Amino acid sequence: MSMEYERKWEVRRGGGGRAPGGETPTTYYGIPAIHKPHWKWMIIFYFFFGGIAGASYVIASIAQLFGHPGDRRITRAGRYLSFAALIPSPILLILDLGRPERFLHMLRVLKLRSPMSVGSWGLTIFGAFSTLSALIQAADDGLFGRKTLLARILRAMPAHMIGAAGTVPAFFLGAYTGVLLAATAVPIWAKNALLLGPLAVASAMSSASAALALCLSLLRGTSHETLKRLERLDSITLVAELVLLTAARRNSGPVIGRPMNEGHLGRIYRFGVIGAGIGTPLALMAKSALLGRSSSRFVAALASVLTLAGGFMLRYLLVMTGRKSADDPEATFALTRARRERSEQA
Amino acid sequence: MKGESDTMSEDGAARRDLTGTTGARPGAVGFLTDTTLCIGCKACEVACKQWNQLPMDDFGFTGHSYDNTSDLGATTWRHVAFIEQISEREGQRPAVLKPFQSNWLMMSDICKHCVNAGCLEACPTGAIIRTEFDTVVIQQDVCNGCGYCVPACPYGVPQFSPSDRKVHKCTLCFDRLQDGLEPACAKSCPTDSIQFGLIDELMEHARDRVDVLQDQGVEGAYIYGDRAVGGTGGMEGLNAFFILTAPPEVYNLPDQPELPQKKTFPASVTSVIAALALGTAAVFSLRRR
Repeated sequence: MSMEYERKWEVRRGGGGRAPGGETPTTYYGIPAIHKPHWKWMIIFYFFFGGIAGASYVIASIAQLFGHPGDRRITRAGRYLSFAALIPSPILLILDLGRPERFLHMLRVLKLRSPMSVGSWGLTIFGAFSTLSALIQAADDGLFGRKTLLARILRAMPAHMIGAAGTVPAFFLGAYTGVLLAATAVPIWAKNALLLGPLAVASAMSSASAALALCLSLLRGTSHETLKRLERLDSITLVAELVLLTAARRNSGPVIGRPMNEGHLGRIYRFGVIGAGIGTPLALMAKSALLGRSSSRFVAALASVLTLAGGFMLRYLLVMTGRKSADDPEATFALTRARRERSEQA
Repeated sequence: MKGESDTMSEDGAARRDLTGTTGARPGAVGFLTDTTLCIGCKACEVACKQWNQLPMDDFGFTGHSYDNTSDLGATTWRHVAFIEQISEREGQRPAVLKPFQSNWLMMSDICKHCVNAGCLEACPTGAIIRTEFDTVVIQQDVCNGCGYCVPACPYGVPQFSPSDRKVHKCTLCFDRLQDGLEPACAKSCPTDSIQFGLIDELMEHARDRVDVLQDQGVEGAYIYGDRAVGGTGGMEGLNAFFILTAPPEVYNLPDQPELPQKKTFPASVTSVIAALALGTAAVFSLRRR
């Protein structure tokens, strides 16, 4: 950081606050023009778990409503996984607050233009659906006994309808995190505002299908066809993720996109997310598809693990590039200058 | 010094039309900070700290001209920026000083109390409110330190305080306003660079002042914080606005910022489309055949 300051200071000395020879001013001693959020690991983990909780609920419901009769396992595993990934989510969010004891203040108001406000309500509503569906599943599996009152009440509930209705808050939970980042003044997030929501959904779906495939492949008796179908979903969502992520990098341009191109975050983008997290699993799946024979369980599990790691690294990349972007006044000015140029052209 | 003033007039600043319009509500109060009158004494910074009982910041020398404050923050609600306009010829000191302000720019920065404020719209707890004076204030008994208002401000004003783990910013001396007093910074300003009053009157005054400055040869003078510059993109103007003589970036201000929440709706639409598409893909992948 201090190195950066010195360099900017030298530029300013040479150009009087302007780029050498250029008309556009550079920065004020390199001091950031906006403040960055304090969010770090807890929010990154929340984005990861929240995405899996929402998307595995979606996959469970779709498997139940439209799926192959042999895919009951997907529904069952999806409901349990959704609930398991849900549990840490509010805990992480509350611990990340400056004043965790005031977490209920989040539900004082509902503001439709604030993704954080809508998100708090969305997580609450989804929490109810996810918990209820997991309980119904547990009752179906006989975890509450056969003839107990609780088991009877839960089994009498319309599981299909609850599952169908729950897909709305489940998709919301997967997507709103992207919208939350988009509705800020952080250059790299604001510039890619339209892409971040879809990217969050795609990554949530790929992580959830990989997690489900991994869980099911560890269970005995999971049919090969079931895993095949999950793998197909995984590959489609990974391709969507790849397209959206590379589109975001192109859309950012040379100045705003700097955090994705340089340094340790640039390496995580290239080798971690694109290479290991998306490219390798896709290549493994494509190889088995091209050869016409199915990959071994080990290779399939490897692809799932890499997809999950890639999903986590993507969340890391999203949060950390934002922090770096907010610290770059040139990026802020590139964003706010571009609006003038656009309005002057119009 | 010819080169310097030429660059100045080639910048967007000189070509800007003076609109001086804001969407400020009737009866709104705020600040006009006329940087052409600022002498960089930092009395506003000191008065603000004293009245609001704000603790000291990092104590030390930044090497950035006379600016050892650097930035607005949780405990710094006024910040005087210092820009030395050194000749563009490789850092040489200019041989001839300009007749006006002698190549110095000084500007007392503050929370802009936007007509439509990003921090206020982002706040999920309702801690950030618009007061009866049309100013924007964080209620400290409600804020839970989620930190979402921090990146939602296009000017980098609110900041998370590690000491009490809540977010703080200028209150435009809400307590003084309630007692009919002007804010501490305006009260202490010895040159009336900081003027407090009704927005309508201040804006009229600002337009007159820019006319006078331009007649006097300061062609780069303009209002920052109307609907044309600064208070743009859905913010509809700033209740704390400025008269500047160089492009906004020179003072670390964005030229055409946007209300971040303008993105909420379009970003939600693309997310819904993506969810429908991926949902269909999931149905296609898992369907019975």
